[in-house]
Amino acid sequence: MARRWLPLLLAVTTIPGSAVSMERVYVGASVCRECHNTDQRNQYATWLGSPHAQAWAVLAMPESLEIARLSGIHEDPFSNPVCLGCHTTAADTEDWERDASFHLADGVQCELCHGPGSEYISPEIMADPERAAAAGLRTPTATTCLICHKEKGSHTAVLGPRPFNLEKAMARITHPGRGGQIDDAPSQASSGESDNPFVGARVCAPCHEGTDGAYLFSGWRMTGHADAWSVLGGDRAREIAAAQGLAETPLRAETCLRCHSTGHGEVGREASFDPTLGVQCESCHGPGGAHAADATGISPPVRPDRRVCESCHTPGIHSSSSVFDFESALSRVDHSRPTLAHAVATEIPYKTPFNLVVSPDGKRLFVACEASDSLVVVDTVAREVVAEIAVGHLPHGVCLSPSGDLAYVSNRGSDTVSVIDTSNITLAADIVVGDEPHGLTTNESGDTLYVANAGSYDVSVVDLTTGRETKRLSAARGAWDVARSADGSKVLVTNNLSHFVPFRSPSRSEVTVIGTERSVIRDRAVINEANLLQGIATAPSGEYSLVTLIRTKSLVPMTRVMQGWVMTNGIGILWTDGRVDQLLLDEPENYFADPTDVVITPDGKFAFISGGGIDAVAMVDLEEMISLLEAADPMDRTTLFPNHMGLATEYTERIRVGANPRGLAISPDGRFVYVAEALADTIGVIDVESRERVAAIDLGGPRGITLGRTGEKIFHSAEVTFGGQFSCHSCHPDGGIDGITYDIEPDGIGINPVDNRSLRGILDTAPFKWTGKNPTIGRQCGPRLAVFFTRIDPFTPDQVVALERYIQTIPRNPNRFRTGETLTPAQRRGKLLFEREFSNSGDVLAADQRCITCHSGPYFTNREMTSVGTASPLDTHDVFDVPHLTNIYESAPYLHDGRAETLEEIWTRFNPDDKHGVTNDMTKDQLNDLVEYLKTL
Amino acid sequence: MTWWNTSKRCNSLCELRGTMGVASIIALLPVIVFCNSIAHGETPGDTVAPFVYTEWETFYAEEGGLPNDHIFALRADGEKLWVGTENGLALFDGKDWKSWTEDDGLPWRVVSAIAVSKKTGDVWLGLFGGGLARFSGGRFDHFNQFNSGLVNDVVYGVAVLDDTVWVATTAGMNALNTVTGEWEIYTEKNAPMEEIWCYSVDAADGKVYAAVWGGGILEWDTATRRWNAHRDPDREMEIDLYRDDGLIHIITTSASYVDGVLWASTYFGLSRYDGRHWRGWMDHDSGLASNFINYTVGRSATSVYNATDLGLAVLVDFVTDTWVSYRRDAEDAETWTAHLWTGPDETTTVATDLDLPNHFIIATEIQGDDVWIGTGHGLARGRGTGYYNGVHPPSEKVEAEGSEP
Repeated sequence: MARRWLPLLLAVTTIPGSAVSMERVYVGASVCRECHNTDQRNQYATWLGSPHAQAWAVLAMPESLEIARLSGIHEDPFSNPVCLGCHTTAADTEDWERDASFHLADGVQCELCHGPGSEYISPEIMADPERAAAAGLRTPTATTCLICHKEKGSHTAVLGPRPFNLEKAMARITHPGRGGQIDDAPSQASSGESDNPFVGARVCAPCHEGTDGAYLFSGWRMTGHADAWSVLGGDRAREIAAAQGLAETPLRAETCLRCHSTGHGEVGREASFDPTLGVQCESCHGPGGAHAADATGISPPVRPDRRVCESCHTPGIHSSSSVFDFESALSRVDHSRPTLAHAVATEIPYKTPFNLVVSPDGKRLFVACEASDSLVVVDTVAREVVAEIAVGHLPHGVCLSPSGDLAYVSNRGSDTVSVIDTSNITLAADIVVGDEPHGLTTNESGDTLYVANAGSYDVSVVDLTTGRETKRLSAARGAWDVARSADGSKVLVTNNLSHFVPFRSPSRSEVTVIGTERSVIRDRAVINEANLLQGIATAPSGEYSLVTLIRTKSLVPMTRVMQGWVMTNGIGILWTDGRVDQLLLDEPENYFADPTDVVITPDGKFAFISGGGIDAVAMVDLEEMISLLEAADPMDRTTLFPNHMGLATEYTERIRVGANPRGLAISPDGRFVYVAEALADTIGVIDVESRERVAAIDLGGPRGITLGRTGEKIFHSAEVTFGGQFSCHSCHPDGGIDGITYDIEPDGIGINPVDNRSLRGILDTAPFKWTGKNPTIGRQCGPRLAVFFTRIDPFTPDQVVALERYIQTIPRNPNRFRTGETLTPAQRRGKLLFEREFSNSGDVLAADQRCITCHSGPYFTNREMTSVGTASPLDTHDVFDVPHLTNIYESAPYLHDGRAETLEEIWTRFNPDDKHGVTNDMTKDQLNDLVEYLKTL
Repeated sequence: MTWWNTSKRCNSLCELRGTMGVASIIALLPVIVFCNSIAHGETPGDTVAPFVYTEWETFYAEEGGLPNDHIFALRADGEKLWVGTENGLALFDGKDWKSWTEDDGLPWRVVSAIAVSKKTGDVWLGLFGGGLARFSGGRFDHFNQFNSGLVNDVVYGVAVLDDTVWVATTAGMNALNTVTGEWEIYTEKNAPMEEIWCYSVDAADGKVYAAVWGGGILEWDTATRRWNAHRDPDREMEIDLYRDDGLIHIITTSASYVDGVLWASTYFGLSRYDGRHWRGWMDHDSGLASNFINYTVGRSATSVYNATDLGLAVLVDFVTDTWVSYRRDAEDAETWTAHLWTGPDETTTVATDLDLPNHFIIATEIQGDDVWIGTGHGLARGRGTGYYNGVHPPSEKVEAEGSEP
């Protein structure tokens, strides 16, 4: 076998603490077969006939797509590590860790349960159990199985309940057998020369798989033909063979192999041909050597000649049936039936407009639509869609060049900005920026673009003459939206999440101020006791800016909801002299949940603020508002007004709009405000003078409302909470986190604080909550939520089902630290530390001392309750749900109460006794490597 | 004047020495002197007249600007000067002072190093015992060995090159990629570091230089991502066996890379490396005020400023080996005196109005035509009114020996 990985392994074997584990690579089931394929030892055939061998292929079933969606995975299951983590072996390895003989398409193979085999495959080592174990041979336990076979909500939802019975499952896959002479492997060497030899299904796979190949290979793999050879290892085959007077094992008997394997006895088989793959492509479609050599030349017949089938499917040969129904049989092996490819093609997405911008002449709107990954162009006069163009994934923000000839669209799911030529609505370029780009704006001259990156907490400064990012400016956590000052000298950036503050301290959020002359940070305005700063607009006078904000009361238990005891909603006024005011948009028992965006009329008289949770837009009389502030006592202005719910009616009135208003844009003449009604797939048009929504522009989304869409509306609606105070979105913007530690339960003030957790891709990580009390999302959103959040009118059962469906589909962001399969050297070293079995001094680490034990499987959680020594005097229990680690880099702070601001602190500060894995023997560079690896998960 | 160091051209004699033999070179000496004179436009009998900082202003904490008189670090950023002290950070904008202590959010009182990112304008602070801080837009972000990949909280030096912040700590070097957030650590495990006590770092033009106390100078090439070590080839700790064979001593205190030349300060003299040739200076045969150099800042490939325990020693002109060293000649002297040297010979002295009480200089910085020096007892700025490079005023004839330029 090829040992091309050897130099790399030799280079890394000097790292202490993990020397033994680094030498092992995956060799593949076909190598195990060399010994485990005899009468005494036929584990290979047993495995090949088991569902494990088809585990990879079943990902081609259309159900896989739905299961993936419910796991927050919106890409091909064949390329997603979460799906592959259980449906194949060695999915989390790099190419060099898999030998040429290893095939991912072989699904759950020997080495998933028994460990990478390169070091124990020799018969001498295998014969000695101790030596084999030292070389990496593992004996699986129930825990091994449950890493993947623990019930997953996504699979249950699509395939129905399938309780996993460990005993029965073990009985099904068990493959005992030892001793005896090792026979020669079935001949698969090339046999004679031919112009058109048999090449084997593995050669067909690369072209006849995937979306382009209609997943034909996987389709074949799921048919009985693929098992044809492996069934020869079963008892029934031996009975039939004995009845026919065959002395040798059916696995070797010519009589059996003639039908149970392709090309047996034929002249001309390439070395790539593997007879153990049963009745392969070439049995029906003829030898494929010439076609494989030149796919544009000879094409094998698509529909097999029935005589080929009948040569083996002789009536009565193995059964009492006297008739071979060719058409029926053909339909059973037909692998062009609906597969993943068809499922992908039939999806019709909603639009979900998020943000929009008006052209300088006021005649067109450019609308970023998150769900359809597109930019929609609207004629404002005709009030209809005139064009649509695909952009990147999850477009969020849009702005125009000063002349309006280019539109820039931030794609938070691709980490890019799409540049659109507005004259012909074509894609001009894609610009790579930071993580999760949100709001964006150009400078006055249009040669520089500023992009707020919510995931990397910074601002990309892009030189638009070259189309390249020139620098990153440090913002704060969750950089969200940007606005240019009236004089163009500054760009202001809102940051969604508060700074890290001392434990049990109120939030402190930031508006970052960038000087456009040199594109450097000029100032950082702090807004106390506020978070979720999102929309921002600057007054035409240049005297102040307005930001939307929420004042979350996270420090006391949620025992009271009235009078804004959970959160209040309002705006911040940032004066150019450095003062900061806060005013609420809430009224008593009539809150303004989820203020999202803000625009100011060109004359500076009015501001409009979208209330995402209440389907309304607030119109603020700015002169009234400023008068109120200026007339106030200074003490009242700073301490009373930010919490006063009796003021809003003096300067606001509300205008009802469509579902979940998000981005706003104002026409250049100030006559109309355009509202992105995200969950209505419409653009609402507000007449400023009449203060009414006068039109709704249909963006052309689907008419029907799916269960998930219903749930999405519920998620973003504050209707069910008291007075419309907050929605699910309020604490989980974009399905993520608000970065705050909460004291939720009425068990005493300050008792059992819990860090807010992300909702992205969580369905299969049950149980939920740090306490693990909720086995399903439905339980969390239903009875549990009712206790604290909804009180009087909890969600109805139907609403819970819909809400649960939506939450299940909230996508996880692509991991920006892992591009492709290859790890950086630091990440690779970190992975070895994560999986290590020995400390730096060579001591064996007990299973419960290893990271990989609790943080196992494709979600890196064993979904159990565990104590890691992190209970504090404020906690009434010391076991917590093992959190999943996928996308862990974006969910700071860490640990159950959010006490660790960074990943490093989990171990430098909060693991003094090595209860959270053995880490105190690590050097600082080892810890750095471990952190680098964790960021790739 | 040492004849083998009269000019850059004549430095090639170092190479000749190996081939021709000393006697042959002595025979050529008159020719060499004549060539040197022609090379610099002098006629025999002309004297050199470097610029001398005679006008100084001093700054003390009691005056209300600095938070503390014990100055550790100085960094000029255009018209601004950042000052790191034992108890706080200060900023001078040419007119007014502003300062920050721990009460103002500074994460740690002792600011031992300062660097300013040309790209972002962020100010990076080395905190002696407190790690690293970024000061940006009025916000301090604190990185220490617990909450980040910083290898050690005892930070001696910091430098910024493009998107990477380089940190010299007592336990090795760190490189922080501010875009990806990755921290790299360099110690003896992955760098040619005989000691891991990194005293200072400088970075420019694709190169990073770390001064390793007891380990020489380590050079990192950002293009090749490889380290190269510069050490004293004779490996003698007590003497410099062969001058100019390499780094003068491995107990280095700082490095300054400017115009393709590396200046390296040690506790046993000064070295210069142009990528091919080394040159060393000691106090007994040059205008270097003291071998004990705390910090060095290159103004150019031919001029460097050295903070020594016996004053500020300025190599004004490498070509003519002209020095101006500023110090207090006696404990009870009212002001400092500038001593002019050419080669091993002191040529004249010039009075200044600098009256800092102590000439143990810890930090020095060049700001345009001005120079700043920081001591344990205050800060001073030398005003460069009429400053000129080299050893001749731009439009004046060279004055006779002994008179002020």
